[in-house]
Amino acid sequence: MTSTASPSPAPQADVRVGTPAIELKGLSKSFPGGRAPALDGVDLSVPRGGIFGILGPNGAGKTTLMSILGGLILPSSGSVRIDGHDVLTEARHIRHILGLVPQEPAIYPTLTARENLDFFGRMQGLSGAYLESRIQACLELAEMTGEADQRVEQFSGGYKRRLNMVIGLMHEPEILILDEPTVAIDPHSRALIHDRLRELNAAGISILISTHYMEEAELLCDEIAIIDHGRLMVQGLVPDLLAQRRDEAIELQFFGEPGAGLARALETIPGVQRAEQAGCRVRVFSDRPEQVIAPIMQRVQAEAPTLRSLVFGRASLEQVFLSLTGDRGAPR
Amino acid sequence: MMRNLAKLRASVVKEARILLRDRQALILFFTMPVLFVLILSLSLRDVFGDRPGATFPVLVVAEDQAEVGRGIVDTFRANPHIRLALAERASEAQARQWLIDGHYRFVVLVPAGATLQAKRRLGEIMAEVPADLRLEQPVSVRVLADPSLRSDYRKVLEGSLDLALHGIEMKLGREQLEQALRATQGSHFTGLPDMEHGRLFQPVHGETVTKRGGGPTPTSVQQNAPAWTLLAMFFLTVPLSVAFIKEREQGSLFRLQTMTVPAWVVLGGKAVPYFVINQIQMISVLAVSVYVLPLLGGDPLGLGNAPLALLLMGASASLAAIGFGIAVAVYARTTEQAAGFSSATVMIMGALGGILVPKAVMLPIMQELAVISPLSWGLDGFLDIFVRGGGVDDVLPEALALLAFSAFCHAIAIQRYRRRV
Ligand SMILES: Nc1ncnc2c1ncn2[C@@H]1O[C@H](COP(=O)(O)OP(=O)(O)OP(=O)(O)O)[C@@H](O)[C@H]1O
Ligand SMILES: [Mg+2]
Repeated sequence: MTSTASPSPAPQADVRVGTPAIELKGLSKSFPGGRAPALDGVDLSVPRGGIFGILGPNGAGKTTLMSILGGLILPSSGSVRIDGHDVLTEARHIRHILGLVPQEPAIYPTLTARENLDFFGRMQGLSGAYLESRIQACLELAEMTGEADQRVEQFSGGYKRRLNMVIGLMHEPEILILDEPTVAIDPHSRALIHDRLRELNAAGISILISTHYMEEAELLCDEIAIIDHGRLMVQGLVPDLLAQRRDEAIELQFFGEPGAGLARALETIPGVQRAEQAGCRVRVFSDRPEQVIAPIMQRVQAEAPTLRSLVFGRASLEQVFLSLTGDRGAPR
Repeated sequence: MMRNLAKLRASVVKEARILLRDRQALILFFTMPVLFVLILSLSLRDVFGDRPGATFPVLVVAEDQAEVGRGIVDTFRANPHIRLALAERASEAQARQWLIDGHYRFVVLVPAGATLQAKRRLGEIMAEVPADLRLEQPVSVRVLADPSLRSDYRKVLEGSLDLALHGIEMKLGREQLEQALRATQGSHFTGLPDMEHGRLFQPVHGETVTKRGGGPTPTSVQQNAPAWTLLAMFFLTVPLSVAFIKEREQGSLFRLQTMTVPAWVVLGGKAVPYFVINQIQMISVLAVSVYVLPLLGGDPLGLGNAPLALLLMGASASLAAIGFGIAVAVYARTTEQAAGFSSATVMIMGALGGILVPKAVMLPIMQELAVISPLSWGLDGFLDIFVRGGGVDDVLPEALALLAFSAFCHAIAIQRYRRRV
């Protein structure tokens, strides 16, 4: 189930020709002493110019995959090409065009934000006025010009993650890989990171991002792959995946528990197959959700409990995810 | 290359910043060895020298049994601080060996016929034979001393021997004078003989006896200053390896591995600042030993006369310590592991290498074993300079051994650092 198999009206169709940004063939990785392989025969093709999401529960192998891309660990078998270059034999070329943002902030706590940027910039070979301009640009990207000269240990977790991300941008990579950049940060920082990633993407940078958050993947990514237990479960454009697996449930939430009669009343509506109540929540199953909404609303008003929300068709990527990975490690 | 040098410079700056911001650690790095040297040099002074009130085993080889031999023996016998042993006959070589083996701290050699020789010389003086025409030389009573005997004690012993010889001189002189007076009945008495220009004995000059392995035993400060400098240098492997592993745990090291940063730049960035700290440690310990210790009543440290050799030893010891620290850091998995292993190893190497306990007091088998400790190489080098007055040539073997150790450690560290699983 890869994207090449699903014809779609992808807006990026034109940039997908040519070498993919990242291409994995039969990639496997077993850690010495590890019981099951962390990656098991992964074939993946990340096209240029898009934002590609890698989804998977804890321990799925996301970080392992990204570490291999960054040259930090060696694959056990299979081939890895970035920008058409092999990671094992052509590391030099790759390191100049690749930016890797690790999952845990990799920064020096007793240095200031500026000193961290300066150090890693120099380690990327930058110097002089260009280095200065990059430091400034990255501080602005992270919206921390005011905190530039504070020691990182005084930063909140969100600030650390923002700094962690822009360090990966110092050398203006063409391909940016981010390992769960939005874990454990507030909505403002998350929105900031999303905005920045969209801007970078608009400027032509190919982005590979791993995440737990379905919402994030839906909002941000053009294409996603879901991995679990080191295996690729599905790869495809987000609209295609959504079209494949529609959520048939309509979820109603009430202030207070509705009477037991409501579910039975809803089940009498033509087109409704089943209605289940659990506490303040009622789930209505139908294969034509659009058509049954109006009659449902009528019944609800007649039965009178105060409706808090009505959701349908959402969280569908979550459904895809759950159906593929089982209920283990359910994402938020 | 130029690019990598710029990266090395940035790494050094980064590491220096991190170090300078850890004030407590810095203070510890510098005060620890200085305090150790001050405290131990002052308090162990009497262990390296001798406790006050101690008695010394002194051997008098009295091959002369007449007035001279008896006079010396009687004087020493009257001294409560001396445990006197007597020998009627012993070769000088034998006496030296006894000293080296630690049976005696002080040996007095009274040559056979000393009394006769003294009397004949006295006769010549009485007969007013001019100094250059006298046949008899002053009697030479030789003194051999254990070099680790505190110099003030040695002076006291030599002084009491001197006093004994003066007493004998007086006694012999008086006897001769009485005889002469009786013989002449005072008729042509021409005055007292000029004893001032005709001493019967040569002045007493204690000769220190060189111990096995060359060179005299170090004094307290000669031992302590290099010993604690070396220990402090090697103890820096703990913060060095911890800093390195923290960098790995914080992920910054992995980040560097995704960039084109060669291993030697990463490791060199660590080595340079710690090298500088090591040199400052050495300089501060030496400065305190030379200038502050005497103010507190200790013996000052003499730096020898080969500053270049001192620099060479300081640099190679530091490189060896840094190499060890980096190797530990690269191989250890956690900071606890690294700190525990490196501090334990340094203590063991220090104990083996004559740092904690001077080699001179160790059992011979342990002295042989000391060879495996790099700290022992370092200490030997410094002692060559301070105690034996050695130069660059003399410390070259020790310096090369330390540099080879350093190179080995760095090589295995780089090899491991480059490894990917
Ligand atoms: N160095 C290692 N040694 C042994 N096993 C490892 C190592 N690193 C990862 N693993 C194992 O490989 C599997 C994949 O781990 P990985 O970190 O790639 O998961 P992940 O998808 O990034 O999870 P998370 O969402 O929690 O970050 C896990 O079972 C993990 O235990
Ligand atoms: Mg991970």
